[in-house]
Amino acid sequence: MKTFEKILLTNMERPEYTGSLADYEGTGGYKALKTVLGKTPPNDLIEMVKKSGLRGRGGAGFPTGVKWGFIPKDHPGPKYLCCNADESEPGTFKDRQLMERDPHQILEGIAISCYAIGAQTAYIYIRGEFRLAAKILERAIAEAYRAGHLGADIHGSGVTVNVSVHAGAGAYICGEETALLESLEGKRGKPRTKPPFPATHGLYQKPTVVNNVETLANVPHIVNRGADWFASIGVPPKSTGTRVFCLSGHVKRPGNYELPVNATFRDLIFELGGGMRSDKPLKAFIPGGASAPFLTPDHVDVQMDFESVAMAGSMSGSGGITVMEEGTSMVWAALRLMEFFYHESCGKCTPCREGSSWIVQILQRIMNKQGRPDDLRTLTEICENIGGRTVCAFGDAEIAPVQSTLKYWRNEYEALIEEAEALKGSRKEIPVLSLA
Amino acid sequence: MSNTSTMVTLTIDGIRTEVPEGTLVIEAARQVGIMVPHFCYHPKLEPDANCRMCLVEIEKIPKLQTSCSTRVAEGMVVRSSVPHVESARKSVLELLLGNHPLDCPVCDQGGRCDLQDFSHEYTPTVSRFKELKRVFPKQYLGPVIETQMNRCVSCMRCVRYCDEVMDAQALAAEGRGTITQITHWAGNELECDMCGGCIQICPVGAITSRLSMYDYRPWMLKRTETICSYCGDGCQITVQRKDDQLIEVNSALGAGRNNGDLCVRGYFGYHAAEHPDRVQQPLVRQADGSFAEVTWEEALDRVARQFTRIKATHGSDAIGGLITTRCTNEDLYLFQKFMRVVIGTNQIDSGARYGHINGVRALRRVQGTHRWTIRYEDLAQADAIMLVGTNVNESNPITALHVKQAVKRKGAQLVTLESLLPVRSTVSNITTLSKHHLEVKSGQFSAAILGLVKAVVESNLVQEDVAREAPEFVQTIRTNVAKVSWDAIREQSGLSQTDVETAARTYSQAERAVVLVGREVLRSLGGEGLVTNLMDLQILTGHLRRSGSGLGCLAEGSNDQGAVEMGAVAEYFPGPAGLHDEESQKTLTRTWGQAVPAGAPATLPEVLTRARTGDIKSLFIVGDNPVESLPGDAGVTEALDALEFLVCQDLFLTETAKRAHVVFPACSAMEKDGTFTNTEGHVQSVRQATEPLGESRPDWEMFSALSVLMDHPIEYNEVKEIFKEIRGVIPGYGLLGPASTPPKVDEKTVAQYVTSGFKEDVDQRYTLDASPAAPEGALTLRLVQSLYHSGKYSTRAKGLMEIEGEGRLHVNAREAGRLGIEEGQTVRLANDGGQATVSVKLNDRVPDAVAWFPEHFDEPVRALFSLKVDPHTHVPVWKTAHVTVTKWSSTNRSIEERSRV
Repeated sequence: MKTFEKILLTNMERPEYTGSLADYEGTGGYKALKTVLGKTPPNDLIEMVKKSGLRGRGGAGFPTGVKWGFIPKDHPGPKYLCCNADESEPGTFKDRQLMERDPHQILEGIAISCYAIGAQTAYIYIRGEFRLAAKILERAIAEAYRAGHLGADIHGSGVTVNVSVHAGAGAYICGEETALLESLEGKRGKPRTKPPFPATHGLYQKPTVVNNVETLANVPHIVNRGADWFASIGVPPKSTGTRVFCLSGHVKRPGNYELPVNATFRDLIFELGGGMRSDKPLKAFIPGGASAPFLTPDHVDVQMDFESVAMAGSMSGSGGITVMEEGTSMVWAALRLMEFFYHESCGKCTPCREGSSWIVQILQRIMNKQGRPDDLRTLTEICENIGGRTVCAFGDAEIAPVQSTLKYWRNEYEALIEEAEALKGSRKEIPVLSLA
Repeated sequence: MSNTSTMVTLTIDGIRTEVPEGTLVIEAARQVGIMVPHFCYHPKLEPDANCRMCLVEIEKIPKLQTSCSTRVAEGMVVRSSVPHVESARKSVLELLLGNHPLDCPVCDQGGRCDLQDFSHEYTPTVSRFKELKRVFPKQYLGPVIETQMNRCVSCMRCVRYCDEVMDAQALAAEGRGTITQITHWAGNELECDMCGGCIQICPVGAITSRLSMYDYRPWMLKRTETICSYCGDGCQITVQRKDDQLIEVNSALGAGRNNGDLCVRGYFGYHAAEHPDRVQQPLVRQADGSFAEVTWEEALDRVARQFTRIKATHGSDAIGGLITTRCTNEDLYLFQKFMRVVIGTNQIDSGARYGHINGVRALRRVQGTHRWTIRYEDLAQADAIMLVGTNVNESNPITALHVKQAVKRKGAQLVTLESLLPVRSTVSNITTLSKHHLEVKSGQFSAAILGLVKAVVESNLVQEDVAREAPEFVQTIRTNVAKVSWDAIREQSGLSQTDVETAARTYSQAERAVVLVGREVLRSLGGEGLVTNLMDLQILTGHLRRSGSGLGCLAEGSNDQGAVEMGAVAEYFPGPAGLHDEESQKTLTRTWGQAVPAGAPATLPEVLTRARTGDIKSLFIVGDNPVESLPGDAGVTEALDALEFLVCQDLFLTETAKRAHVVFPACSAMEKDGTFTNTEGHVQSVRQATEPLGESRPDWEMFSALSVLMDHPIEYNEVKEIFKEIRGVIPGYGLLGPASTPPKVDEKTVAQYVTSGFKEDVDQRYTLDASPAAPEGALTLRLVQSLYHSGKYSTRAKGLMEIEGEGRLHVNAREAGRLGIEEGQTVRLANDGGQATVSVKLNDRVPDAVAWFPEHFDEPVRALFSLKVDPHTHVPVWKTAHVTVTKWSSTNRSIEERSRV
């Protein structure tokens, strides 16, 4: 593996770094803010971010500069920036570390981004369980206000940015940007139908940008070191920069690792992660959070940029890599994830709401050796009828574990169903008639 | 939507069509006859696109799109029945049916259920879902609305309707995913407007009415479209019956002036018509004072003979007549014709005297037409709406819906001058939508209206052309209002100069502005003058003549407006035309074949006085109930007891009817044909929905029968012939059908008014009368209209009685704290008139130092009130009193009741 420079984790990996304002300023923090505020035209900032190739780190990977560019310039009323800190994707824990260990990096990113899109108010919508991170952020915000990095007329530039932290109440769906906005408005967290998009009708129906924590944390670095520098890292022009990958599962050293996006899964799992935790070989891994389809050992040399993972049939999503060793039941794994999605489906759209409960019940039966021969066909069809048929991407996400395990490990399902068939005679049950 | 909207051409299933820009694909499809199946979509609601049933294929868009949320675009090609669209639909149905119980055989919705119909059309008969169905534990929502959450398809129409249309937000989704269920907040018993909208809008049987639960199958029901008789809004209702039993009332989407929306009275109040206490046989008083049931022949003969005798002995003017405004136009017309032609007297009056007449007189005087110059559609288009003493949500709930829509959908600026606090709860409160809410002290609208005019005149909001064309009018008002100080206005009305000026500015500067005036103004002393002052306000701001602007007086009775137009009031012939109007006298003489009587008219208070003094020997009271509609000191019972002969024609043996010598059993509005004229002036068909109960007959038949027996036959074969005669007397009356154009302001009348007419009383109208101060420590007790009732009639409706079954004293929590009382406790109210013991209910929209009591249950407190009669229009005013309140018992009845259960 080539040597590389970390961007986001550099500060916090120094043992003496506390994340305080003094520490952050000591490493050149808030320099970028002072450089641009009131001096660089906002539009130039948007162009800079576009040129850097920075893409959203929350999961969808939408180009950040382009998103900013959608905000109407001449809108008379307020505009908003929402920092999506509702990190709830199973297997993803990078934003938490960024917030807990280096909050000012995010705040500086927020302030610059607000200036770029013309927003005076930013909300950090933080996952309810992140009590510590919320506390740290609030303390950092207070520090930043005192130092004049936030508030009215920042450093005499005439620019105002106010930041507040808003804690969620435990719903995974509120990480979906429109559900986040609903929740922030005090309503039930349910995704909105798009269009209209948040860029024009966001928070309180005003132009709004929703960006992930890690995305915003990159912004000061791009300002400091230039778009070209950022764009030179990774796989230009489409996937640039580094990402903080969250490694978990059956590996020796789970944790957050910042890597340029052209690193491979092998680099992450076997070099930085120290390989499998026992001597059992790798069986499967999720490359980008629970919403990403499983990949197999055949895919370990795939680069971790958005395009390469997509080519391999999955998505690099939120950057959470969960590793499973040989011996793991993939039906069980699919069921476990499906139970999560069933629990978290907000219930708005029929296919996702009813489909997730049906799938869970089928998978539970199969695991309990009560599967039926036509179950796999039913599973496949339910999945097909959920994907692309819902308001938000949750529907597409929840079918990923089932579809991908059926694709690569169908034999495990079949074995369980065969076992059930064999047990049939010995069980006293009311027979269930099947269609065929 | 403006008329100039651009059109968009698109193709749906091969059919090319042109629709206005912004149309939803599902609506465009409907227009070419393609029904895209759907659950969550509803034309009244904002698209939510949650059921995913209406997916269609749109060329150039990779994924299937929900047609309920996608708007048309030029050149769009939509396919709604290609295989993968159909398969998506089937899948949604299969998924919905997965958790849906198989209780169609007992479900009230069975037979008219969207899920059933679409399943029948799209799904195979065998289900692949062989897992456990989700089952909710049963929740009790309330006495009239029932939820069956196992049937719910989570379309959220009920929750959205409750929020978007009713503005109540009483329903909410609780839980997540498949265990989402509809509840009231925190699972409490439902407290809301009880409009039944959630039941009506539910596509399945998840929310149903407890009044008719399990009683019927929809296909057994016979339906009749008629008009609700509970208030002046005139909602179209569909009365449904099984055999002769009333099962349900609802209203079809788009039907009537209410567009399918109903209020609690319309939806749950229908049982009043078949109450067991209905009088079903003619009754004649016996020597011992008891009533005997007799035949129609006997009863009619008795009345005819007595009327003839009294007329012969004492003259025509020894007989008077009163009629309720719940009667149809035909009944009202024929009643006044009977009284004028057969009896020969002008001494007739109706329920319009209780307040509506004040508005009619002022409108006629200033704008030349007694009707609104606006209609509901103008409310929706208005830039500003001003409500003056309406309590519109309680008195005219459907007019309130139009106001809510104007504010919520179109962003109209609402100005409210109301004696209530803008407190939000799960019962909608119109003042919470206000841009400027002016909390007027109870009963002090005179000062508030004066303040508005003063603000307009003194803040340079008078239109230039008005000042130019009618300088004297403007100047006189200016001089008059200058004499009243802002301090005096604040002292009396409680409103500050700034607040009044801001409100006046909002109203004046709006392009289209509508003023609605309600009972607090109409039923007050000097009510006609107050409405006239509001008309002045319209003239000054230029709104009187502007299209889309105008003033409307809210009619409380279902046919208040009709009663006036039919000439069933003291001061008017049919038209309404003045009693000295020669043209009208000629027309009537020609039509009736006899000269109109020349005797003096008598208003309701005059009729009662003359009865007391013995000038009137006999009264014919149709549906009206003065004993219970006026306070004890009005001397109604003395007046009635002094009569030689009293005839009552009513549904029930009311306190008035109990004093009668003969009682005729009358039909309810559900049992007869005819027309009602609503508050806007729309004449609408009332159709017979059920057979008359017992021997009861429509009112007009009795007048006709009596006329024959009195040798003065006025006969008709059917009610339509009466309407034909009405049209002869009032040309063009009652264009039945869709919204007719409202009348225009009569320019001649306005010109006459602003040049000289106004002078008559302008000085009196613009002075502040010193209002009697409340005694120290006394509470202002007001009899108010409850949302859940209408007059006394609704207290016979079991559904409404389940919701509000007794009168309780409403005070806000601060006042209760001050008095040391709690909800459910009993208090004693006392003043010089008497005392009463009532229980307490906390209601945070009641202003400080005020207590409300629902007028429908006023029997125990009526003694506390005393009657004042408007010297000019004779409107009886008595609904405010000052009382002392003392805690009577500390037993908390509600707790007691709960422990008994």
